[in-house]
Amino acid sequence: MTRWNDGHDEIGAVSADITEETNALPAQYFTDPDVHEMEKEKVFGRYWVYAGHANRIPERGDYFTRTIGDRQIIVTRDDEGGVRAFYNVCAHRGSKMLDDTPMTDPGSLSRITCPYHLWAYELDGDLASTPKSFEEASLNPDLDDDAVRELDPAENGLMEVNLDSIGPLVFVNFQDDPDLTLAEQAGSMKDELEALPLGEYEHARRYVSEVECNWKTFSGNYSECDHCQANHQDWVRGLELMESELEVNDYHWILHYQHKEDVDDEMRIHEEHEAKFYYFWPNFTVNMYGTADGYGTYIIDPIDEGRFQLVADYYFRDSELTDEEEKFVQTSRQLQEEDFELVERQYEGLRSGALAQAQLGPNEHTVHKLHRLAQEAYEA
Amino acid sequence: MASTTDAERPHAGTITCATCDFHAVITEPNDAIERYRRHRSVTGHDIKWERTALDAGLDTDDVESALDALGDEYPDGVPLGVLTAALSEQEVTIEATLDAIYDLRMAGAIYEPRDDHVLVV
Repeated sequence: MTRWNDGHDEIGAVSADITEETNALPAQYFTDPDVHEMEKEKVFGRYWVYAGHANRIPERGDYFTRTIGDRQIIVTRDDEGGVRAFYNVCAHRGSKMLDDTPMTDPGSLSRITCPYHLWAYELDGDLASTPKSFEEASLNPDLDDDAVRELDPAENGLMEVNLDSIGPLVFVNFQDDPDLTLAEQAGSMKDELEALPLGEYEHARRYVSEVECNWKTFSGNYSECDHCQANHQDWVRGLELMESELEVNDYHWILHYQHKEDVDDEMRIHEEHEAKFYYFWPNFTVNMYGTADGYGTYIIDPIDEGRFQLVADYYFRDSELTDEEEKFVQTSRQLQEEDFELVERQYEGLRSGALAQAQLGPNEHTVHKLHRLAQEAYEA
Repeated sequence: MASTTDAERPHAGTITCATCDFHAVITEPNDAIERYRRHRSVTGHDIKWERTALDAGLDTDDVESALDALGDEYPDGVPLGVLTAALSEQEVTIEATLDAIYDLRMAGAIYEPRDDHVLVV
């Protein structure tokens, strides 16, 4: 029985059993501004979240910035060649230090310097130097220079953020002591992706779209293909949807789509003769199309409860695309636009307040997993 | 009285990013500025006004002069969205307008009585 907001039906928690009626997250979790605020901590502050691609910062001092919820970080290559992440916040008085610098147009620096009072930091985050006005008290008649506290470089350095990688894909975790390691959260996905030569591919394109719906609305749409036959007719023409499989794991799920006709090995970077779409909780996907010698990633970044940014990146052997690759990207963009129409329409309905709790079908088990993980995060 | 729906509200215009191939309808002019900043921070791309429904009637491409001309109509501050839209009709990009505004503000020539609303001193 459908649970409408008609004063009669009660909503329930997302059932563990998908065959039960309350198998979906109640609608208010998609439309309530307080939920958006809660997710900043309970979802994006708790799990491993994608930060960017290490290939974009190959040299010492290369960096990009990334904003996750309200947190702004710098991802940089240190003196030892490792990738590290720090809050983009000065240890002195909390100023934001570096301007927003997207991964697609990375910057380079030898030290991280705050423009406010010129505190400078080494690439390992240690405080490197402060102006003389922080070493002596010449303007303060009540204080002798000898009384000025010396600043220990390590204890007054930048606040580091936990960072780990799957191949060239860099993830961060904002917990002091993460509940899970990245390997635990990624499970078998880590081994599968690390077996592929992802690092040999160059970033070629980034398309960013703002979509008027909750981020989980799009995530749910990405995670199932019951809508594909009716809404992605050009794309499904080449697929055997009934031969496909949706595989669910602890914190990721994989959509295996079989192609009708075999595709040359050179047109895939993975072995299986299929398209493989990985969804990694909470908001990252790796798209192995199976019809292009390249791959894509999506970041599904919330703006507020009713909007998100889809950051779509494409990687190919060469950053200069062939005509065929250009055409491939256009097809992928077409899919995105078709999905944007669907999710904005769904969200318009959800936002109207009529439906209290949706109900999922038996082949929407990936969406069920998404909703279960969201609920688990909220309750944590 | 029935409330006005989004579809019925007057639009300020449309903005576009040629690289990402999107076109978005803007109702509140300053939403274009918010969108410009968000998009630029993750792409580095420029967003441009594609069409504007604001009839500012400017005959200058100088940002300070344009702001001065619009100030009478907006005594509480000219929304940056209105200013950029008006100047786009003179072929001045959003990026160029915001850069000029920053320079004017840093020179003390303009002030910001409300967030993203500016007036000539």
